[in-house]
Amino acid sequence: MLKTTQIQKPRYVLIVDDQEINRDILGAILEDDYQLLFAADGKEAMELLRVHTDIISLVMLDLMMPVMNGFEVLEAMHSDEVLQEIPVIVLTADKNAELKALQLGAADFITKPFDLHEVILARVERIVELSEGKNLISAAEHDKITALYNRSFFWEYANSLYAYHTEIHFDALVLNIEQFHSINAVHGREFGDKVLAALGQEVQAFLQQVKGIGGRFEADHFYIYCEACEDYAKVLARFQAVMDEKFKDVNVRLRMGVMRRQENMEPLSLFDHANTACNKVSGNYAQPLMIFNEEMRRREILDRKLLNDLNAAIEENQLKVYYQPKYDIQCNPPRLSSAEALIRWIHPELGFISPGEFIPLFESNGMIRLVDRFVWENAAKQIVAWRKKYGITIPVSVNVSRSDIFDFTLVDRLEALIRDNDIRHGDLKLEITESAYAEDVQKMIDLITRLEEMGFDIEMDDFGSGYSSLNMLSSMPVDVLKMDMQFIRNIESNETDRKLVTLVLEIAKHLKLTVVAEGVENEKQLHILQNAGCNLVQGFYFSRPLPPEAFEELIRREIETKRG
Amino acid sequence: MTLQELYSQIQGDYDKAMQVLRMEKLLDKHIRKLPANSIFGLLAAAGESMDANALFENAHAVKGVCANLGLVKLSALASDIAEEFRPGNARRLTDAQVKQILNEIDALYQKTASAIEQYTLSA
Repeated sequence: MLKTTQIQKPRYVLIVDDQEINRDILGAILEDDYQLLFAADGKEAMELLRVHTDIISLVMLDLMMPVMNGFEVLEAMHSDEVLQEIPVIVLTADKNAELKALQLGAADFITKPFDLHEVILARVERIVELSEGKNLISAAEHDKITALYNRSFFWEYANSLYAYHTEIHFDALVLNIEQFHSINAVHGREFGDKVLAALGQEVQAFLQQVKGIGGRFEADHFYIYCEACEDYAKVLARFQAVMDEKFKDVNVRLRMGVMRRQENMEPLSLFDHANTACNKVSGNYAQPLMIFNEEMRRREILDRKLLNDLNAAIEENQLKVYYQPKYDIQCNPPRLSSAEALIRWIHPELGFISPGEFIPLFESNGMIRLVDRFVWENAAKQIVAWRKKYGITIPVSVNVSRSDIFDFTLVDRLEALIRDNDIRHGDLKLEITESAYAEDVQKMIDLITRLEEMGFDIEMDDFGSGYSSLNMLSSMPVDVLKMDMQFIRNIESNETDRKLVTLVLEIAKHLKLTVVAEGVENEKQLHILQNAGCNLVQGFYFSRPLPPEAFEELIRREIETKRG
Repeated sequence: MTLQELYSQIQGDYDKAMQVLRMEKLLDKHIRKLPANSIFGLLAAAGESMDANALFENAHAVKGVCANLGLVKLSALASDIAEEFRPGNARRLTDAQVKQILNEIDALYQKTASAIEQYTLSA
């Protein structure tokens, strides 16, 4: 097995002394164990240091030299970020010089004349090993790309600052780069690393001015724990200005979240909040700085509560499925055609919670699947219940979220639902939101094709609100387009919107797709849609979403109209 | 003339020199180089102009080189000058006393240098 000394890089010692005899003596002492470099004055020494920075393990430095003396060398090394890491043994006999040299970062002293060779060699070895140990620790402490602390050391030091430096009020700052993964993907990892290094350097520069520490955890996640600053917009603007300057051809946008210090709040919680604030910024280029505030705190507490309470909500029937009717407006009078199942949550403490409050939250972490399954099961049972009671089938549309699409049990689950409730595939219509189509298109096409083949009708929800392209319409085997309510809202007053709606309807006609218009609120809108050839309409004009019992009134009315 | 004979002639401490340089070859190399070392001339010139800084620096250098070579007497005299002119130290000697010591150094250096030159020629 190789010994570590054989594995380690050869160690170089730079001997700096204007007297050849001293260089020779030290050379003779060290030559068996080290590779040697020699300089006769400080200037030569600095030149060698700059050329061989990476390989020099130690400098042995005389103080009294012409051209550039030892103190000047120490000062120059001390003020250089890299050179200051190389240990220096000063060659002197002068006690006063020792103190000054120590202050300038000298590691040890050797007095002239150099009579105790073994002692000198031992001291050189000790200093080199100490420094290598320190560098090893330092390498473990620091992130290689930015030289900021890595995660574990950052927390270690933040916690001790919090515990032992209560006189300083520390704020938590989280700094991210917008779409950093795209920068890496488009310009290459090497370029991405350059961006990180540049930002790391700026963070270091900032930390020269204020007390604090900086860390990079992974990718573009920079953490700064620093003395409270007045104006964080200015701090961020400075970081941004440097990035703009350094990367002129690439748009590197920063975002920052700040959590101001709170009495008795540990760094970990402080940074949780800063992170929340930073995530709130995401994508908002006009407002790249967010300071955590009461509203966010309220939201965070609510989110946590909702996440906690979801299982109980399902078990204890706090979740209710409401049904909003869809009317066929090409009949006169319009006829009840089907319904959309919508979730409602009546919380024992919070009362009625708007779906807008909890659906995005559960979508963000995949828990929406639990909600969706609950709705599917209830809707299937409801279809059966109405069929038994009224002898007609009201098809119900249910939501299929993005997370469901990546759930490999989806197909089996839906199949079981159909079988167990003894309904037809066509009775349960699957609404897939438009934004879900944007990711992993092929997977999406495969899945939809499969569901379609099983006999399900596929409805593209929120069409027109986001990323859909016409191209996608031709490749996705969808049956129904649900036009987003934003389209409908102003059709009676806004000509452009009206033209757009007409256009969508024409395209749908060519592609033989049924169109459902959402959010229809008044008669004018209804007439415009009727005349433009829209098939189905959903909205407050006909009815808001209703609990099943109330919905039955609409069924009864429909049956009477039919008879009459 | 052997190296040891030279050392007894110049009243140097051979053992001390060997303690520092360890190898006779190295001692031989550096004792031969001594007459050409400019620091003695520079020290003398500094004495002419009484430039305190130059006196300190060159006396310091002479002290160090001579100590390495076991030239005890020269080293001690140079040390007196160095301490006299070390920045921050108070002057204790008169200029005349300084000149006296410098003359001593010069005389001793001349004697030593000529003995070394003879040694160089003989070897």
